[in-house]
Amino acid sequence: MAVIENNTLAYPVSPHANRGGLKAGQNRIGLLLLLPAALAFAAIILYPFLSALGLSLFEYTVEMMEPRYIGAENFVKIASDPDVWAAFFTTAIYVALTTAGTLVAGLGWALIMNQPFAGRGVLRSLSLLPWVLPSTVSAFIWGWIFNSRYGVLNAFLMELGLIDFPQAWLSTPQGAMLAVVLTKVWLSIPLFMSFFLAGLQSLDKEQIDAARVDGAGNWAVLRDHILPHLRPVLIIVVVLGVIGNLQQFDTIYALTGGGPVRATTVLSVEVYRRAFEQWDIGFASAVGVLWVCALLPPAFLYLRMLVKGN
Amino acid sequence: MFDLSSKQAKIVFGLATLAIGFFLFFPLYWLVISSLKANAELYRVVPTPFPTMPSLEHFVRALTTGKLPMYLTNSLITSTCSAALVTLLALYAGFSFAKYRYIGRQPVMLFMLSAQMFPFGLLLISIYPLMSELNLLDTRPGLILSYIVFALPVSTYMLYSYFSQVPDELIDAARVDGASDLRIFHTIVIPISIPPIVTVFLYSFMWSWNDLLYSMTLITSEDKRTIGPGLLLTYLNEVNSDWGGAMAASLIASAPIVIAFMFLQRYFIQGVTAGAVK
Repeated sequence: MAVIENNTLAYPVSPHANRGGLKAGQNRIGLLLLLPAALAFAAIILYPFLSALGLSLFEYTVEMMEPRYIGAENFVKIASDPDVWAAFFTTAIYVALTTAGTLVAGLGWALIMNQPFAGRGVLRSLSLLPWVLPSTVSAFIWGWIFNSRYGVLNAFLMELGLIDFPQAWLSTPQGAMLAVVLTKVWLSIPLFMSFFLAGLQSLDKEQIDAARVDGAGNWAVLRDHILPHLRPVLIIVVVLGVIGNLQQFDTIYALTGGGPVRATTVLSVEVYRRAFEQWDIGFASAVGVLWVCALLPPAFLYLRMLVKGN
Repeated sequence: MFDLSSKQAKIVFGLATLAIGFFLFFPLYWLVISSLKANAELYRVVPTPFPTMPSLEHFVRALTTGKLPMYLTNSLITSTCSAALVTLLALYAGFSFAKYRYIGRQPVMLFMLSAQMFPFGLLLISIYPLMSELNLLDTRPGLILSYIVFALPVSTYMLYSYFSQVPDELIDAARVDGASDLRIFHTIVIPISIPPIVTVFLYSFMWSWNDLLYSMTLITSEDKRTIGPGLLLTYLNEVNSDWGGAMAASLIASAPIVIAFMFLQRYFIQGVTAGAVK
């Protein structure tokens, strides 16, 4: 990948990396080695994907034995369904807030962790913890912090005099959105930080020293040297962040269940509910198709970067 | 990187460190602290910053009265099997992509990788009837197979990036000696590839260990339930919320993955940032 290829933290790119490999006669063996993974991929990923795309053209509910072809009718229904539109809107807010929040906090923390100080290694390792916790656990932690009666957030804000009464955060639309966004930002900081730290490794320190001799301050160094250097990493992190946040389900479902009412019902929750609570498979698939369409632009950007990197 | 000799720089840097550090670490601190508070102290409107009378009652209760040990065992079985399966598949596929030159190699590889972006929730809509068709609904093999979705594409790519660095000369030399391709792969390439293999194993293990959506949907009977839905249904349901128990059980459920991660994080970060999607 272009971003990481010239630093030593990631796999060094050897001169053999893109050379001819083995001889043409052995390609049969190569295909044979690929076969098990290709079969698994086709059966568990590709077939379900295409089948879900296909189901979007069918009516298929819990009362029906067989799906019935109805053409684009599901999409016509979606066009006039305010709940689906609301889910798109909620998703857009959720993705924008989580991506922006993680970007700021992740970049900030990477810059701090790039500064030499005693105990940095330990702190870096500990910073990765939110990333590896099971999603239910993350939801528990934040649910407890946001708890309306015994939550530490209420106690803290009352102590500071910012609120007079305990707030039922998860019962208000804004409070619930804040909780699911903070949870996702919190658990994405480690990954973003790792990417930025990898990018910072290849920063030319002499160039910065030279700038300092010329009288550049911290802001100037950040603005003119560090941020331009991190631009490719920044782009990839934003693209990956958008893809991941568009798909987020577990923490939202465990924390709010998509509520109160539908305030945190993003597309993933909407599709899940339509499919596995109302068993309206055809309609759920149609919403899913539009969800895939939303994923296409960032996915395309990511793949293009990958190809260029190769 | 930054020059912190001026007072102003120290203040700005210090405040940023405190703010992000607090956001990052306070929730973890609060998890540990809350798990150690007895109920009398836990349910107070003004919480104590640390337990005045630390108690292990929640841990004891989680391990003895609840079904947590069973959920842990189930998660251990499904996650280990699915990680082993994904690693095995990705191992051969990654080697094939890295060292052979057949037509369509690069498009197929990119296509597989882009599959990581198919929404998991959408795939589940068709995986459910597929598993039902195969009589694998509500079975461990069904869940293990479904977990291929999460990690196979990225795992294959991570191993591909690593195998690309293995010098061709090494393989050619062994071939001159008459060794078969499979033998070369097993006896020469795999032994020098242990760190990335372990990384991929841990990566796919983590996906299945942390999963809620698939396990919640594909497993319905309690004796096969994994920790994700297990924790959710046990501690936060309509009738009761046992926050102390939830915190203690969370720590217990996180321990295996956190310990494994701490030992292997160096390889892990390298692998994921080199070929990462998520």
